[in-house]
Amino acid sequence: MPEAAATNPAAGVFEPKIVAFLCNWCSYAGADLAGISRIQYPPSIRVIRVPCSGRVDPFFILKALQSGADGVLVSGCHPGDCHYLTGNYVARRRFAVLNDLLEFAGIDPGRVSFSWVSAAEGERFAEVVRDVTEKVRQLGPNRKLLKEEVA
Amino acid sequence: MKGTLKVDGKNPEATIRSLFARWLKESKLSAVLAPAYSTAGTATVALVSDPEKLSEAAPLLPAMGVNSASIVAEIAREASPNAKVGLFLRPCELRAVVELMKLKQVAPESLLLIGVDCPGTYKAAGFRNVRGKDADFDNRHVREQSGYAENVNFRTACQMCEYPKPLVFDLNVGFVGMDPDKELWIEAATDKGKALLEGVELDAQDEPQKRKQALEKLSAARKARTAARIEELDKAMMGPEKLVEYFADCLNCHNCMKVCPVCYCRECFFDSDTFQRDIAEHVRVSLRKGATRMPSETLLFHLTRMNHMMASCVQCGICEDSCPVTIGLATLFKKVSQNAQKEFDYVSGRSLDEPLPLVTFRESEFLKIGEG
Repeated sequence: MPEAAATNPAAGVFEPKIVAFLCNWCSYAGADLAGISRIQYPPSIRVIRVPCSGRVDPFFILKALQSGADGVLVSGCHPGDCHYLTGNYVARRRFAVLNDLLEFAGIDPGRVSFSWVSAAEGERFAEVVRDVTEKVRQLGPNRKLLKEEVA
Repeated sequence: MKGTLKVDGKNPEATIRSLFARWLKESKLSAVLAPAYSTAGTATVALVSDPEKLSEAAPLLPAMGVNSASIVAEIAREASPNAKVGLFLRPCELRAVVELMKLKQVAPESLLLIGVDCPGTYKAAGFRNVRGKDADFDNRHVREQSGYAENVNFRTACQMCEYPKPLVFDLNVGFVGMDPDKELWIEAATDKGKALLEGVELDAQDEPQKRKQALEKLSAARKARTAARIEELDKAMMGPEKLVEYFADCLNCHNCMKVCPVCYCRECFFDSDTFQRDIAEHVRVSLRKGATRMPSETLLFHLTRMNHMMASCVQCGICEDSCPVTIGLATLFKKVSQNAQKEFDYVSGRSLDEPLPLVTFRESEFLKIGEG
């Protein structure tokens, strides 16, 4: 299995750390489904459960990157399917603005990914994690926003 | 209702003052908030309620120490039936007031928005020396600026400002493209504004072609200058670590946040307990690198502030004036907020009816987000 090789630290491959903000109603349940269906995906994500993708303050994303995360994934219900009706639409606007800001700050926008995964999409969730992990792996370790060093 | 108002004695400032006097005497206004000279000759702001004290107001004073919208936010959080205050403010200040109204930080009922053309201002700090002993300085400034005369001593943000005329107002007093020794251009946009003009002798007419052209010329010149400044900034920002370098001198004083007219939270998130860590935690963070910069979180503060303000920033640049270590915030915010607002086809302070971009949405937009 190609991922098995890639996830092997002994092989000298960079293993990214990715903070994943998953909405309680769709993507978190999607991740759960991926788990109980025994679908394999790289163990690169650290999941933080949030009530809605609209709960994700762009500050969380910046803070995660600053604290040493190599990438961030935010995942919520598909547009139109938000448990709170419009939370993800509002979140989407916020992320659009954040993308501009990341680019301006010299952080590759590839480090921050957004996706919509429903509770029934276990396979899609695994695929998203595979894609995101690969993307961040290509970018290498995140040095940009880390706490400013003195020297 | 619009037309020209005759100026007496080649003194447009006195003419505006006599308008104030009329409104105060007729009880159309209970007070006017307007620029003023302090007894020490510095540029400040005054709330004048007695027509006899109007000499305190200097409506055309071309220096800015605060964005008066901050003062409006302080005094007009709630409306009162006992007060009707005329805000005699510059375009960027009025635009900030509009944003604050939309953010529910300013109650519009007790306020009248009276705008004035503003082709640019000096920094309040040091303005005493610029003005010297010239008692007619304000009028001279208006005379010079009625045509387009770029002034490199203006505040950085003013040199990039494309809005010499307010966008939302009840009443506006204009001098760009006019001969301010002879006449001012007066324009009422709402019923409230028209009520103020009752009894005022106006020579009613359409906006003079010359004025329209002057305004357009000024806007175009400023847009070109903005583009050039942003290009310079982009060059300075190229390459890794440049952002850190740009903010390297930051003292973490948060002045930029305190003076910002649209940064409206009562308690800033960055002053909250979230950032209180005990000494062991600080040491733990330091151990990761061996040495960390203190005070910490300065870059995170600036990025977060940018992210919070981008949608409503009126690009008044008062943040830059307040920075003790002269970080070039005006150009930075100009660039970042302009880009963000373009994304939503929004201009801060352009209209009271346009919803704030981050509280609304369209179903079919940004379809690429979440699909890639």
